[in-house]
Amino acid sequence: MLRKTLSSIAFAIGLASAVSVQAEDIEIGAVFPLSGPNATYGDIFMSGADLAAKHINEDGMLSGNLNILYEDSQALPQQGVVAMNKLVNVEGVPFVLSAFTGVSKALSTLAQRSQTVAVNGGGVGPDLAELGEYFWNVIPLANNEVGALARYAVEDLGHKRFTLVYVDDPLGESILNELEKTLPTLGAELVESHSIAASAQQFSGVAARVRSDNPDVVYVASYGSQQLQIVKQLRDNGVKAQIASYSAFSVPELQSQAEAQGALFTTQSIEWGSDDPVTKRFVDDYKAEHNKNPTSYIANYYNAVRVFGLLAQALEAQNKEITGANLLAQRKATETFELVGGEVSFQDNGTLLAPIQVLEVDGSGSGKVVSVKTAE
Amino acid sequence: MLFLQLLANGLQVGAIYALTAAGFSLIFGSTKIFHFAHGATFAIAAYLFHFALTGLGFHWTFAVAVAAISAVVFGVVLDRFMYAPIQRHEGSFFTVFVASFGVGIVVQNLLGSVFGRGFMSVPTPLSNSVEVMPGLYLSPLNGLAIGCAVICFVALHYFLTHTFVGKGLRALSENPELVRMFGLSPRRLSTYAFALGSLLVVPGAIFTAAGTGINPAVGHHVMLISLAATIVGGIGSLRGAACAGLLIGVAENLAMWKLGTQWSEAITFAILFFFIIFKPSGFFGRATVS
Repeated sequence: MLRKTLSSIAFAIGLASAVSVQAEDIEIGAVFPLSGPNATYGDIFMSGADLAAKHINEDGMLSGNLNILYEDSQALPQQGVVAMNKLVNVEGVPFVLSAFTGVSKALSTLAQRSQTVAVNGGGVGPDLAELGEYFWNVIPLANNEVGALARYAVEDLGHKRFTLVYVDDPLGESILNELEKTLPTLGAELVESHSIAASAQQFSGVAARVRSDNPDVVYVASYGSQQLQIVKQLRDNGVKAQIASYSAFSVPELQSQAEAQGALFTTQSIEWGSDDPVTKRFVDDYKAEHNKNPTSYIANYYNAVRVFGLLAQALEAQNKEITGANLLAQRKATETFELVGGEVSFQDNGTLLAPIQVLEVDGSGSGKVVSVKTAE
Repeated sequence: MLFLQLLANGLQVGAIYALTAAGFSLIFGSTKIFHFAHGATFAIAAYLFHFALTGLGFHWTFAVAVAAISAVVFGVVLDRFMYAPIQRHEGSFFTVFVASFGVGIVVQNLLGSVFGRGFMSVPTPLSNSVEVMPGLYLSPLNGLAIGCAVICFVALHYFLTHTFVGKGLRALSENPELVRMFGLSPRRLSTYAFALGSLLVVPGAIFTAAGTGINPAVGHHVMLISLAATIVGGIGSLRGAACAGLLIGVAENLAMWKLGTQWSEAITFAILFFFIIFKPSGFFGRATVS
């Protein structure tokens, strides 16, 4: 009896010590819209982030398994701050993925204060580049995207008159500012701008106003379900002008929308057929897993998680703790990163600089590249 | 011409608002239940219409029937199995509201899980506008929505004034105790109110699925408009809710004639505040002393 008890205790102790010698999991956070009208973006972002975590774990890049803790922002700044608070103060993560301009701006203060790295791969407001050294962007911002599209529309297509339909939030405001700044330098003009509430769903009246503006190009600065509703209602209500937008148009629902065919949009330029091993592995595995081509948003969040993996790997090699401050120092010490799309480097303000491609919605699911412009 | 265009758009939007607001007002006026899940009924009808038409390939008449049956069943089930038990246990107005609100959220997430959380619309040439005169574009859906609303209101008026159940529903909104004294069952009448009120959202749901498109959160906007129209029209007044729905739809669009497009949604609340301050009893509501 005694022997049986002792052997049980010995087995239990052995089991416990076996567990204790295993490395702890490494956790990072993500504040994505997982519910509400923009939840479709959350699914897209997660697919990229999860694939990167899978690759990092398969490669054994880190001492423990990398886990991503997802929190729901509903694409709303207030919810985003609540989610960020939980990740930073309860979970204690050193690195958080962020999305949407308004949400990213709202949580950047907490990121700075708590020395937690926040990385945006979805929001494109230009002022996201100025949110402190703990806030990084792995996506070219709207100033680059708007500029590239305006140059293509004016210089290559000869369009002169632009009308903007923009959602009344920081993203919409920043695109308005960029168009007001960029178009006159190209000899074109912003004829009219129509602001809409983020919750608006009826755009037949807006379409009537747009028609009366008689523009060559209607630039749509919205996202989620709303941008699809705008495009449908513009076309249904007789607007025949060229529709244009930014990278938010790369979502599958819009790419397959009948009314959106022929619309122009911009994303960072990624050569999907590249032989670069990181890009090739990402594209092949994504296609195998999802049976469709990846988009730039998916690549962005793959890159964001991969940046963490590379930095954390370097820190562990130096026996340094994986903290926000150390990740920042390591990023500054790292000249280039091998990411999807090739070798890139961060600017001093923590934003990646990448060439921009102009695409046309053609029903293929990812768009047809019609021009590539260098970022300015 | 911009004015005419906006007016035409406003009439179509107003017709849809009027129908959904009348449904909410009928339920609220008769049963005093704040049926926040009315927006969820709208979303269910819209999604099942879309699914029956494009997913199952049904003829549009069967798809309409699927939407109508699902809306009525949802409304009646909520009344029987959620509101009735709460009322039996003398749950407060607030308890009913919270329960209804919760159902709205659950339905939104269920629809998102089942049908996806993105945008959907019924592909139909009926939503394509044609230029009927220089600068004025109208789609067949414009006329259909307005015509359907007129037919629904005429039928509703006839039902409420010429049928036994209709008269019972009107009596229920006036005095439930008296209804009981006459041997009628307020509970059964409540079920009729939910069935009829839920049925009234179906045309709006179908026209929205075809015209503007839908997402799982579409019910929130509907609920907001229904609530505003009920207050503006006068609480308990079906006619008032219908007129207020029409007014809000037209005002939302006409606001864009001279004001910026961002004022379109705000105009609903401007109208609501105006009535709360200057005519709290609404269009056709009666002034009360509490």
